[in-house]
Formats: sequence, structure tokens, C-alpha cells
Amino acid sequence: MNFTAIRSRMLAAALLPVFLVVVASVGVFWAGRVDDLDAAHRQRAKLLVRQVAIASEYGLFSNNAASLQSVVNGVQHEPDVRAVAVFDASGTQLAGSGLPISAHFRGDDGSEYVAYQSRLGVDALVEKISASSVALDDLFETSKDAKAVSPVALGYAVVELSRDSLKARERSTFFIAAGVGLLGLLVGGFLAIRLGERVMQPILSVSRRLERIGQGDFSVRSDIRYQDPLHELQEGLNEMAIRLAWGREELEQRVADVTQELRVKMGEAESATLAKSRFLAAASHDLRQPTHALGLFIARLGQLPMDAQMRQLVASLDASVQAMQDLLDGLLDISRLDAGVVQVQMRPVSLGELLGTLRAALASVATEKGLRLRVRPTHLWALSDPVVLQRMVMNLANNALRYTERGSVHIACRPVDGGKNIRIDVSDSGIGISQEHQTEIFREFYQVGNPRRDRAYGLGLGLNIVERSARLLGHTVALRSSLGCGTRFSITLPLVAAPESLPPVVPVEVPVTVALKGLRVWVIEDDDFSREAIQELLESWGCNVCVASTAEQAYARMRHEPAPDVIVSDYRLGEGDSGLSAIACLRALAGRCIPACLMSGDTDAALMQAVKDAGLTLLHKPVRPAKLRSLVRHLVASAATAGIDPDAQLPP
Amino acid sequence: MSSSLLRLVAFFLSIVCWAGAGQAAAIVVVSSESSTSYVATVDALLSELERSGVPRADVVLRNASDLGGADIAEPTPPRLFIALGTEALKQVLGREVRAPVIAALIPRIGFERVTKEFGKKTPTSVTAVYLDQPLGRQLDLLRLAMPDAKRVGVLWGPESASLQPTLASVLQLRGLQEVGGQVGAGGALFSGLKAALDNADVLLALPDSYVYNSATVANILFATYRARVPVLAFSPSYVKAGALMSLHTTSVQVGVQTAAMVRSWLHSGILPPPLYPIDFSVTVNEHVARSLGLKLDGAALADRLHRLETLP
Repeated sequence: MNFTAIRSRMLAAALLPVFLVVVASVGVFWAGRVDDLDAAHRQRAKLLVRQVAIASEYGLFSNNAASLQSVVNGVQHEPDVRAVAVFDASGTQLAGSGLPISAHFRGDDGSEYVAYQSRLGVDALVEKISASSVALDDLFETSKDAKAVSPVALGYAVVELSRDSLKARERSTFFIAAGVGLLGLLVGGFLAIRLGERVMQPILSVSRRLERIGQGDFSVRSDIRYQDPLHELQEGLNEMAIRLAWGREELEQRVADVTQELRVKMGEAESATLAKSRFLAAASHDLRQPTHALGLFIARLGQLPMDAQMRQLVASLDASVQAMQDLLDGLLDISRLDAGVVQVQMRPVSLGELLGTLRAALASVATEKGLRLRVRPTHLWALSDPVVLQRMVMNLANNALRYTERGSVHIACRPVDGGKNIRIDVSDSGIGISQEHQTEIFREFYQVGNPRRDRAYGLGLGLNIVERSARLLGHTVALRSSLGCGTRFSITLPLVAAPESLPPVVPVEVPVTVALKGLRVWVIEDDDFSREAIQELLESWGCNVCVASTAEQAYARMRHEPAPDVIVSDYRLGEGDSGLSAIACLRALAGRCIPACLMSGDTDAALMQAVKDAGLTLLHKPVRPAKLRSLVRHLVASAATAGIDPDAQLPP
Repeated sequence: MSSSLLRLVAFFLSIVCWAGAGQAAAIVVVSSESSTSYVATVDALLSELERSGVPRADVVLRNASDLGGADIAEPTPPRLFIALGTEALKQVLGREVRAPVIAALIPRIGFERVTKEFGKKTPTSVTAVYLDQPLGRQLDLLRLAMPDAKRVGVLWGPESASLQPTLASVLQLRGLQEVGGQVGAGGALFSGLKAALDNADVLLALPDSYVYNSATVANILFATYRARVPVLAFSPSYVKAGALMSLHTTSVQVGVQTAAMVRSWLHSGILPPPLYPIDFSVTVNEHVARSLGLKLDGAALADRLHRLETLP
């Protein structure tokens, strides 16, 4: 609260009337006094000139210049008198004293002369001197004309008075008035301030009180005096403070209760989430294992000779398993993103290459659906993680192909924001997404227009993965669509200049063809079905496979047999062993870094991180036979060319 | 005041009666003006006439200004005109009347001037009772009041100058000396006054409107007072204004003397010659007298003067 403002306003309210009254009264007093002085001055001047006129009458009558001079001298001694003179009727000066009378006086009524002197600031007065008339009831005075004649002017008396002393007196009067006014102002102001303070103090006290209450100080004041004009207000404030204090305590109590309750609920929610995650992880692990084996078996089955009907059946079986594996892959991606184990490696990415790869991968799908896939060639480069970016664009393109029945899917890049950024657009001529769904579609398992969760429409994880990946890379994903007019997804990312030397691009497929025939592969797998399936699959590729159900068996074999070319181990081995330590042991036993990979049905983030730290490749169950095959080839090729490549990664 | 008003009314009524009845008026009294002095004179005259057997109806009062108009016809010529004041005399003489005329309230100089002016065309006889006093009487009074005063100052103006030779002889008769001062027409008064006062024991004021008038009297009297020269004036108003004393004839005295002259004419049918007033009064300003160190009694002086004049 602005106490100074209140105080100054109060002061103004108290001082203003005092000031006005004092100024008005001083003004009236001074003006009246000046008028009085002026009138007195004029009166005195008139009296002086009349005195000269009367005293000069006989002198003029008797033409006695000496007596006139004495009269004039007598008046000259009066204060303020500048000049005194007596003129005869013809305007000749007979006696004079003081300053010479101006030539403007010509012996008439002197109006011109008076005006002239008045302009000079001198009060000049002219009085006609005429013989005093005596009434005579006289029979001898026969001539009527002589009686009627006006008294003859004997001469003129002229007095000039300076206004200097009048002005000085007016000035001193002004100073006196000002002094009195100032005194009045001081006294009045002092009283006004005193009175104002008396009014202000209780108000200020109440204001401070309110301020303290506002700051949360609800202490009750006990020093309220009964003389206080705002006594009742103070009492009311006390009561208010008490109630506020109660209210606050009650509120705090309630907040504490609610917080406690919330904490409990949160704990419950957390444990529920934990349970869910645990369940999901367990479920996916437990699902992976059989799916993994199933996939491997079906792959093996597909290699067997069979009739057409059988082959059809196997193909359907394979498709079903494929779908199941897709779902598990999606879940895996999300859990990896959740775990933050995806290491982003930002570097210049050639979008032309990226899009070329996409076209190669998707062309067949588009052709199958009868859609036209158009990828506009580009030579632009962007700053991003090539792997993650490719997966994002792939997801968007897959979505577009999936939801478009007719027409085309268009992928293009264009520079935006004045060449600072680049935008990758994936447009389709599909059904479009209505406004209300546009924010929802990025959620997990959200699908528009697929309440039956038709598998052909995907799983609803793709956009969620895109969105999470974009967040990870610092890119933005935008959606522009309306029902029936197609959809356009855009990823905006920083544009960079093409590097001088092309950085190594992660190969999508290792272009080395390594013959798997005769390759000695050890498989360590505790699950019997999986072990059998993978053994059969590897053997069908011509590999020389040795299997072990535990790490110990593998160690034992290592002691008797030469080291294998490749080790494929499950992560979780029985008896508390882990594939990670088994591989390390075997490598130690062999005395060299045997190419190896791990398989696991777990989506546990810690596990993934550990595998990554060990420089091994983790194959998530269910492992697709093609993937396994290419990895094995890659491992062998890498070892053959550059020794063991611990950073080798499986392309997505 | 009310009585004078009544008299005025009676005066006008009588005019109407005289004009309306066509009765032969014996005496027509013409007044120059209707001031207090004139009214007093007319009153005294009328009562004196009445007392001597002249019926009131035979006397007609006229105003000089009325007489000037030609519209009032005189059905029967009046037997006698009494003109009060110079103006009235001028009017009466101007009408070329055949009846004799008695003038009163007119100074000798004025009378002589008017009769001289109208003398050629006026066949009738004109006489007067002068307003002013004979010089000898004035000098006698001076000698009575101030026996030590030998040098008599006189201020001669254009009107009074003609009296200079007369005064000289009268002074000589009484062994007095004239100290004269001349005042020209429109000339400076003071130099003459100074001359007259310088060596005079007393100032004798003689009627002259150029010298003595309401505008000058105050300064003249002040000058005489400063010179410590007493003034013998010719009118009581000068005494009031500061002169030592005055010798004059009152309005009543004039009225009475005029009536006596009418009576004389009625008895003899002959007009007596112009006369100075027989009766007179002396007024003294006690304050002035005291300040001049004189002790005078107006009435006593008048008595002594009367006695002096009645001596053979």
C-alpha cells in the first residue's frame, strides 16, 4: 500500500484550504491597503495643490512674488513633492520650487500637461486660482453683467508629486502582507499537518495491519485504544485475523490430508504402472520365446518340399507369425525409446540416399496395393541420426500406403524457413484425418476408423514411435489433413551443406555375400524349442551347428573342440548365467574375439544398455530368420575384413 | 418671506385690476427687480403713501421687465412714475411718458448718466432720491469716527472718476488730504490700491462696480487690513465682508423719503430737485474696529452726524 500517496493527499486536502484562505485574505488585504494608500496619496495631492491655490490668492492679487515663493517653499518641504509652482493667468511662472515645471504646461486647465506627466509616472495637479467671491446684496452693483461673470482666474497652482514613496509603501505593504501570509501558512500548515496526522495515524495503522495480514501475519493486536477513532475497525480486523488464521490452519490441514491421499494414490498408480510394465515385459518375453521358435520352425517348414495346398497353409501361417512379430517389434521400439537407450548420433545425412532406400523397400508394397509411390529425388543434406530418421520416414510412408486405397503416396523434401531447415513431406491421397483426431493419432495404439483393430491397418504404434523419435532428435512433426483430401505428415529438421567427403553411411544391407555353408556356429539356448528351431534353421543354411543348453556345456565343448566361427547365444541362460558372460568366457577360453550375437525376448532397458556396452548385437526374439541370416553373414564378413567389429549393428 | 410673497401677489393683482378696469392710475411704481431691498423699499413707500392719503388703488406696481414689453397698453396715462433702480428708470424714460418721474435706489452717477442719455427726448421732469451719500456727510462721519485721520485714500475707477473734483473741494473744506489711486478699466487693481493705501489713514470707498465688486472686495479688504487702513464703505454688506463701517441709507429710509417727495408733488404739483438721502444709518464692524484698536458705536455716530447736519 502506498502510504506516502495517502499521506500526501491528506496533506494536500488539509493544506489547500489553508493556502487558499491565506492567499485570498492576504490578497484582499494587500489590494485594499494599496487602494487606501493610493486614495490617500491622491487626496493629499489635491489638498496640497488646493492649499497652494488658496495661499497664493492674495499673493497673485497683490502680485507679490516673494509671498508666493514662500508659499511654494512651504509646500515644497512636504514629502513626495517634486515641484511646486504658481503661474499667473497668462501662464507666466511667478514662483517655483523643486524641479522645473514641464513646458507642456501652458497656463490653461493643464490637462495636456497632467496627461504628459502621468505618462512619466508623476502625479501632476493643476488648480485654478480665482478670487474668492463675497456675496454682496448691494444696490450699487447696478451692472447685471458684472454679477453674472464667472470668477476671473488669477492664476494657476501646479504641484508635482512623485510616486516613489507611494510605491515604496506599497512594496513594504506587500512584504508585510506576504510575511503575514507566510506566517499564516506556516501556522495553518502546522495545524493542518497535526490534524492530518491524527486522522492519518489510525488509517495508517489499519493499513499496516491489513498489509501484515496480507503477508500472512494473523497476530492479534492487543494495544487497541478506546480513543482510537477506528477502534471498531481495529476490533473487526482482530476478528478477521483470528478467522483467517483458523481458516489457514484448516486449509493447511486439508491440503496436508489431500497431499497424503494423493501420495498414496500416486504410489498406487506407480506400482500399478510398474506392475503393468512388469507384466508387459514378462508377457512380451514369454510371448517372444514361443513366437521365436514358431517363426524359426515355420521358416524351416517352408524349406521342406510340400504340395501347393500345404504351401498355402504355411504361407498363411508365416503371415500370421509375421504380424505377431511386427507387434512385438513395435513394442520393443517403444520400450527402447522409453528406456532412452537409443543413442542418437547426429551427423549430416544425405536425404537423397535415404529416400532412395525407402523407395527400394516400399516399391513392392505399393505395387501390390496398386498405388503409385513417387519419391522426388533430392541432393539435400540434413543434420539427423540416419537410422532413427529412416525409421521415422519409413513409418510415415508405411502408414500412408496402409491407409490409401487409390491414388498415390508422395515423398519429397524441400527447404523451408529461408533455407535454414528442411521439411520432409509424406503425402497421400487417402481418406484423411478429421480435425478432432489430429492430436490423438500420435498416442499409442490409437487408430482412426479401426475399431475392430483390423491387423491390415497396423497396430497404432507407428505414429507414436515417429513422435517420440522426433522429440529425441529435436525435430518437429506436423500433420496437415482433412477428411477425404488426403494427409500430409511433415518432419522439419535442420538443413546442412553437403560435406566434402562423404561420411560412411550405415549400410542397409551388407553387400558381402559370405557363404554360410560349413560355417561352424555354436548355439547356446536353454529353451529346447528355440534351440531345436534355430539349430534346424542354421543347418538348413548349411552351417555346422553345435548346440549347448547351458554355458557350462559350451565351456566344456570349448575345452575339447576348436573355437567356432560364430556364437549365437540366448541372453538368459539357465542357472543364473547370462549370455553376455558366457560369450565373454568363451572368448577368453578361445583366446580371441569370436564373432558373437545375443538373442533375447526381454525388452528390459538395462539389459539393452548392457549388451550395447559390451559391443554385442542383440537380436530381439522373435528373431526373423532373414535377420539372423544377414547378421551371421555380417559378423563373419566383418571379422574377415577388419577383425572383430564390436560396433557392428544390425540394420533396422 | 411669506409677507413679501403676499405683497408680490398683491402687486400683480393690482396690475390686473388696473389694466382690466381701465381706471385712471395715479401713480405707477416700477421696480428694477424684486429683491429684498426693492420689496422693502416698495413696502415703505406704499405704507407711507397710504398714510398720507393716497389710496392704495391709485398706486400700480410694475416690473421693469414687464414695462419693456410693448403689449401692455396704458388706457389712461399715469400721473406719476416712481422708478426704483437704474433699470426701471431706463425703461420708464424709454417709454417717452409725459408724466413726471421720481427715481429712487439709484446712485447719483447712475442717475446723471441715464438722464443725460434720455435727456433730449424726454420733455417730462425727472427727479431722484439718490442712493449714495453726499461726500461731505461721509467725510463728516470720518472726522467724527476718526478725528486723527487726515489723509483720506480714495480708489478711483472709471465710474467714480467724475467725483474727483467734488471730493477735492470737500476735502479741502474740512482740511483733509486726498491720497488717490487710479484703477483703469480692466487694469490691475492692486497697484492703485497700493498707491491709495500707502500713505492713507483711512480708505473712503466710493461706488464703482469696476473697483468694488464681489470678486474684488475680499482681496481689497484683506489688503487694507494688512495695511491697517480702516475702510469707510457705502453699503452694510461691505461691513459684513470686513470693512470698518459704512454710511448708507436703508431701503425703508429710501421708501419714506420717496413718499415724502410724492406728497410734495401732490401738494404743489412741482417736482423737487434730486436729493441725497436725508436719513441714513451707520453700521460698524465691531471685530474690525477692535482689531484696529478703535471703539465705535454706529448708532451714536449716526446721531452725532444727524445733529451735525441739523446745525445751522
